[in-house]
Amino acid sequence: MGKKIQKYFRIYWPFAANQIKTNFAYKGRFYLYMVRKFLGMFIYYYLWMAIYAGAASDTLGGFSRGEMILYVFMSYTISDLIMMGISSEIGYDVIEGNVAMNLIKPINYRTNLMFNAFGVMVYRLVMPSLFIWAALEAYKVIGLGQSISSPLRILYFLLSLFLSFLVYAFFDYCFGMLAFVTTYIFGMNIIKNAVLNFLSGRLIPMTFFPAAVQTVFEFLPFTAMTYVPVMIYLGKYSETEVIMQLGKQAFWAVALCLFGNFLWQKVQKRIVILGG
Amino acid sequence: MSENVIELSNVKKEFVTTKHYPGFKGALKGLFSRETECKTAVDNVSFEIKRGEMVGYIGSNGAGKSTTIKIMSGILTPTAGTCLVNGIEPYYNRKINAGNIGVVFGQRTQLWWDLPLSETYTVLKEIYEVSDADYQERMAFFREVLDIDSFIHSTVRTLSLGQRMRADLAAALLHNPKVLYLDEPTIGLDIVVKDRIRQAIREINEKYETTVILTTHDLSDIEELCQRIIIIDAGKKIYDGTLTDLKNDYGRNCSISFELKELPDQAKLSNLQQTYEKFAIELQDKSLIVNFDKNDFTVADIIGAMMAHVNVTDVKIQETELTDIVKGIYRNGVGK
Amino acid sequence: MMKKIGRYLRLYRIFVVQYIKSTMQSKVDFFIGLGGFLISQGAGMVFLYLVFEQIPSMQNWNLEQMLFIYGFAQIPRGIDHLLTDNLWMVSWRMIIRGTFDKYMLRPMNLFFQIVCETVQMDAMGELLVGIVLVVRALYKGVVKITPLGVLFFVISVTAGSVIYTSVKLFFASLAFWVKDTSPFLTTAYELSDFAKYPVEIYAKPIRIVLMTVLPFAFVAYIPATYFLIDANLWRTIGAECGIALVFWFISYSLFQKGLTVYESAGN
Repeated sequence: MGKKIQKYFRIYWPFAANQIKTNFAYKGRFYLYMVRKFLGMFIYYYLWMAIYAGAASDTLGGFSRGEMILYVFMSYTISDLIMMGISSEIGYDVIEGNVAMNLIKPINYRTNLMFNAFGVMVYRLVMPSLFIWAALEAYKVIGLGQSISSPLRILYFLLSLFLSFLVYAFFDYCFGMLAFVTTYIFGMNIIKNAVLNFLSGRLIPMTFFPAAVQTVFEFLPFTAMTYVPVMIYLGKYSETEVIMQLGKQAFWAVALCLFGNFLWQKVQKRIVILGG
Repeated sequence: MSENVIELSNVKKEFVTTKHYPGFKGALKGLFSRETECKTAVDNVSFEIKRGEMVGYIGSNGAGKSTTIKIMSGILTPTAGTCLVNGIEPYYNRKINAGNIGVVFGQRTQLWWDLPLSETYTVLKEIYEVSDADYQERMAFFREVLDIDSFIHSTVRTLSLGQRMRADLAAALLHNPKVLYLDEPTIGLDIVVKDRIRQAIREINEKYETTVILTTHDLSDIEELCQRIIIIDAGKKIYDGTLTDLKNDYGRNCSISFELKELPDQAKLSNLQQTYEKFAIELQDKSLIVNFDKNDFTVADIIGAMMAHVNVTDVKIQETELTDIVKGIYRNGVGK
Repeated sequence: MMKKIGRYLRLYRIFVVQYIKSTMQSKVDFFIGLGGFLISQGAGMVFLYLVFEQIPSMQNWNLEQMLFIYGFAQIPRGIDHLLTDNLWMVSWRMIIRGTFDKYMLRPMNLFFQIVCETVQMDAMGELLVGIVLVVRALYKGVVKITPLGVLFFVISVTAGSVIYTSVKLFFASLAFWVKDTSPFLTTAYELSDFAKYPVEIYAKPIRIVLMTVLPFAFVAYIPATYFLIDANLWRTIGAECGIALVFWFISYSLFQKGLTVYESAGN
């Protein structure tokens, strides 16, 4: 097993490394990306501050004002970290007719895409996610008077984050298979992002939804993308709950991976018959 | 009827590009520096073209042909110098100029990709404000010389390259422009279609007195169509004159090949070479090849001399082709 | 002059008809696009609902008023999106690839040519959300219909669309120098998301940006307040029109300047 993973990394790591390099190469893009990222975060930051200012009590949906600040920045950073354009890339490959070409190469198409995405994630982890987290830690200690996150919690958080990446990447791969049905993947992506913003907890914590809706969301894979790692970071889960949530994430990663295999089999048949 | 339709005087165009560095380190370096390079695509080019002329504008890849055409069509503004087309500077009077010119780029189409061809023409009629009478007259003419009728209702996307080219030519001419720029109009076409396009260009030129400027890599286009040729290299004009002059000036080399009954042995061959050291004699397969300069000898001189020494069964005279002349000019520059 | 306008209107009709004919086969795409923008703008509304479950008002605005502002903001945004979407292509690839050449070869106004090439039906999603919310506000009595109000609504929406278009044209024009400006344009365009909520909630620097450099505050929130609280008429609508004109002038001049440095492709 360990050997196999090692082999995988040897073959596919260059794809990831290449992504990291290209991301470094486009400096202008990088600065702008930062600006956009911060703009998006600050819109919601100010919105929430105005909401708390108008509230009668100090906590809304179980979140204090300080916790909400952490929540906004954390959920935004995590979403940006894990949500890569795998489906857009598939859409592009379908339009350009590259998919059939990929069947010829001795390389697994999905693994290739995943490692590309992984490379971008590694880049974004350094630039600038780690800095944002450091700032949030500082705010937590100085601004909120809480103690610094324990190593165990950081470990859980990082594990959960990696699982989030897998859940989202496998999900987006399945979603990308739609490119074989419609060419308008841009429009599909807008729908997907709007829905995910809600269901993954990026826009608003799940606790703001009515109880019945929350129960439904528990059975969907979307909270496993953003909501779970943020809640782990905020310490909103007990030890047992953390283990359960991690299990849930792992379950969805495997389930979506298998579903992706199934879809790919179907699509492959179609390509062989109709041409890519 | 000899006014200048096009006048270029000392036209110069420079492009500035940012330097890129290779590798990972290069990418990091690129984060902080921004060095630029300046490239001169067209360097002090001047020429005049009269109404109704058909001129071949040639040069190797990247010589500056397309840049000049783009300046003359108002797409690019020159860095220095002036260019007049129909008495106006295209880049300052883009709209007026656009009504005066027609352009065909062999690699790109100006037709509406997703629509039947006929619709392109109705749209162009509106854009160029062509009157109904003119429209009918010209379309009838195009039907005749370009035979666009057979595919006028097909979607442009589905046209073959040859059909698309003919359609593009008609589209560029619908408003009867005074000047027509053709950039590689026969690229990728088979001989039959090429011939048809050339024939059409000739007829258009005769009928409407359209001035035609043609860039191409296929020199047979030029031989078929143009009286005059302008050669540009590395942005500089290096030749401007008639095709006949070019051939006379640079095409002096002639080669005659004699097919022999029996091959001369080595001794006899060196003997021949010594006797006639003014021409180059060599043996190729079963023939004797003689290369000489037409200014020094006539063809008859050579044939007479050879017949005296060897038993000849057949004679072939080969004059230097335009392609060879141009190749020579690209390689060695003018004057050789 | 009238003749010229007549010609361009006729051409616009022809181009739009051609465009619609050529995209006929992709009805599915239309519904996907429509649904996409409907859902993503709808999501914003649900967000407001959920939040106002918890609080009675925000900066003295109640839910109904917030929804009116939100809906009002969608209309100029949607109109601009519907009519000038092709500017994105200019900022993204037309200049790099040199496909901009084709416009330069035709005897028509260049901005007109760019704009008339696409009609982005996706925008119907935004327009639908906007119209529904404004009608709802009328129905609920949040705002009242007066002849003057209707007139100023039309003026304000027009000026708002011009502001959107100007911002897009400005960044698209920069592509003449920098080749691909789509990341800049995306950034500026995303800033317009600020405009969906009252500007008072933001820190001063952001407020200043929204009222000067990228005046998205004027496309929705500021004019919307006129209808909600009878703010000074000339201060709101007048300022909006003034800003729209100034920004249009700046962007269009930059566009004209950019044409002189256009380099085409293949060099």
